[in-house]
Amino acid sequence: MGPGVKSMTSTADERSAALSDIGLDRQNGATLGRLLANGNIARAEELPDGRMRATIRIKPDELIWDPSVLVLPHGGDLDLELVNDDLNTHCALLPSNGDSQFIWLVNHSRGTASLNLDGPGYYWFGSPTGNDEGRGLTGAIVVLGEVPPEARLDRPAQPRP
Amino acid sequence: MAEYVDAGHAVDWASLSGVVGSAPPAVQNVTYERILRARSEPQNWLTYYGAYDGQRYSPLEQINTGNVRRLSPAWVFQCGPTGLEAGASTYAWEAAPVVVDGVMYVTGWDGWAWALDAVTGQELWRYKHATPFDTSLCCGNVNRGVAVAQGKVFVVSPNAHVLALDAVTGKRVWDKTNGDVRAGESATLAPLIVKDMVIVGSSGGEFGVRGHLDAFDLETGERRWRTYTVPKPGEPGSETWPADGEAWARGGGNPWITPTYDPELNLLYFGTGNPAPDFDGEVRPGDNLYTDCVVAVNPDNGQMRWHYQHNPHDLWDYDSISENILFDLDGRKLMGHFNKNGYAYVLDRTDGSVVRVFPFVDRITWGEVDPTGKITVKVYPDKEGDPVHFWPGPGGGKEWTHAAYSPRTQLFYVPVQDVGATATRRRREFKESIPYWGAGVAVDSENMAGSVSAFDPATGREVWRWRNEVPMCASVLATGGDLVFAGEPSGEFNALNARTGELLWRFQCGSGHHSSPTTYSVGGRQYIAVPTGWGGWIEGFAPGMLAGTHGAALFVFALPE
Repeated sequence: MGPGVKSMTSTADERSAALSDIGLDRQNGATLGRLLANGNIARAEELPDGRMRATIRIKPDELIWDPSVLVLPHGGDLDLELVNDDLNTHCALLPSNGDSQFIWLVNHSRGTASLNLDGPGYYWFGSPTGNDEGRGLTGAIVVLGEVPPEARLDRPAQPRP
Repeated sequence: MAEYVDAGHAVDWASLSGVVGSAPPAVQNVTYERILRARSEPQNWLTYYGAYDGQRYSPLEQINTGNVRRLSPAWVFQCGPTGLEAGASTYAWEAAPVVVDGVMYVTGWDGWAWALDAVTGQELWRYKHATPFDTSLCCGNVNRGVAVAQGKVFVVSPNAHVLALDAVTGKRVWDKTNGDVRAGESATLAPLIVKDMVIVGSSGGEFGVRGHLDAFDLETGERRWRTYTVPKPGEPGSETWPADGEAWARGGGNPWITPTYDPELNLLYFGTGNPAPDFDGEVRPGDNLYTDCVVAVNPDNGQMRWHYQHNPHDLWDYDSISENILFDLDGRKLMGHFNKNGYAYVLDRTDGSVVRVFPFVDRITWGEVDPTGKITVKVYPDKEGDPVHFWPGPGGGKEWTHAAYSPRTQLFYVPVQDVGATATRRRREFKESIPYWGAGVAVDSENMAGSVSAFDPATGREVWRWRNEVPMCASVLATGGDLVFAGEPSGEFNALNARTGELLWRFQCGSGHHSSPTTYSVGGRQYIAVPTGWGGWIEGFAPGMLAGTHGAALFVFALPE
């Protein structure tokens, strides 16, 4: 076990340090690529009409979405800006009701996507070219909230884990 | 720094394929009246079972015992996933293709639906409902098909939405949330159109939910009614649950398979699922109505007219969800049902009274049911930590995959699973969204068998049996050509002589069968359609085949032109 690495982690800082110490948080460190979904976490902005918007970037030479975990306050429509700051070409295949949405992102390009997602739950998105997905360009969109009241079971509130 | 290149706006993934983008308006004139007379237009497979009676029988006879040896693939439609999807290791292609005037409508898993040219296999449109990766799926990422009517295609999604799609474009018309994914609910069945309603049922019985049936206005998506399959305190049937506590609120009973329907009696026949927890009966003393029942429901208001409980106080996970096939015999209106518990039930469908009960699988050790329905229980997981072996295992002597009935031969054809299991009771506290079984279960991966067996419902006599080394885990199809089609877990698709059980034709599809084949004709040419894609709850019904090849292809066969 390397310096600074403990058998168990108990805090976010320790976990982050362990990822770094081992080399799981970068390309060609411990692994060939970068361990998935360990990048930044950000919340989407909610507009007055309930639509949401956010920006996701691809950082140079890291093959990581930034944020790699995007959190929506509820299900609905998301206007997404996608920026490729990398020096290589990637793409994005994004979940959306009706059909997945796809966009090519050549080096140093900027595009947009409109997504419609149910909540609650989370969805993967990625760059389906080469093995971008395995190297690190796999992210998650997390949708918070509950299903509508009319879809809930008619029963007393139940204990949750 | 240079300006960014404008990458534009993301496009539909399907726009980068050969998909046509629209289908002929074949469904525009599909009405309730046409579905009532579905068998009078045998060129079409208008509804999940082919007709409301659930017989899975087609009068088409171009392909018959004399020429089936020449049956060949006409086309194949494949659909491997791109990117990560829920239950990537457990998806199965379970659907029954519906066909209307040369257009096929079929679902996959994970929220997929397609319209295909039924002659060429060309993809006309596709719909993909975004499915949360973390959706609770007890038994695989699966869906069993569509309903069609009045210009729309109706489907449910794994995250418990009910959707109406435009049958020409595949675009959403309405979308209703019908279950609580945080409670472990999902949806898997093919909807049924009755009158001006879309009828569905819920999934999630392994998570301690409360099962329900629902009806929606097919034009607007407005909910007409919801009926729970476990009563609240004070409601009829509540006396079969503990008076104190909340066992009823976690009681299961999910009706996760499409009902059959008798329009003359105006009754829907839903099968209901296991009580929860599946194997720990001590926390829910009583018969636990209306779990493991057939319930006869008035579709106009959702009220139960009568019920028959096959497995009171179930302790083996013996859902009664499988189909109730309607047939008439000696002037009586009857129904046939092949229960997970290994017994076949012939009931009077006017009132649920028992006509006869008989076994349809060789090994039954959990107990006995006499010809009148009287039950003698023998073994069950009754002591904490004490392993108990029983046949059939929780996958059942037959699970959801459907039997067929031929009015020509007046025989039932049944896909049989002869597999045992060991359950060890392990009590656990209920927590919403966490599996609530009450036991550790290991299904036998050796010493298993299977068959397609033909039964005479007038006597309960087994007329013939086509034996297989492993369980038969796919729906069978009976045709006017005196053929029974049945797929194997190892990929073979077989045609049997409906009168003798002789194997007449076989094609290796490359992946196991766990779906419902259908038949149709276009331009006078008969086709047989069968989705393949081995998966689902294999560890429950055939763990000895758990590593079978995991494909994803819809095969369509016809005689050479």
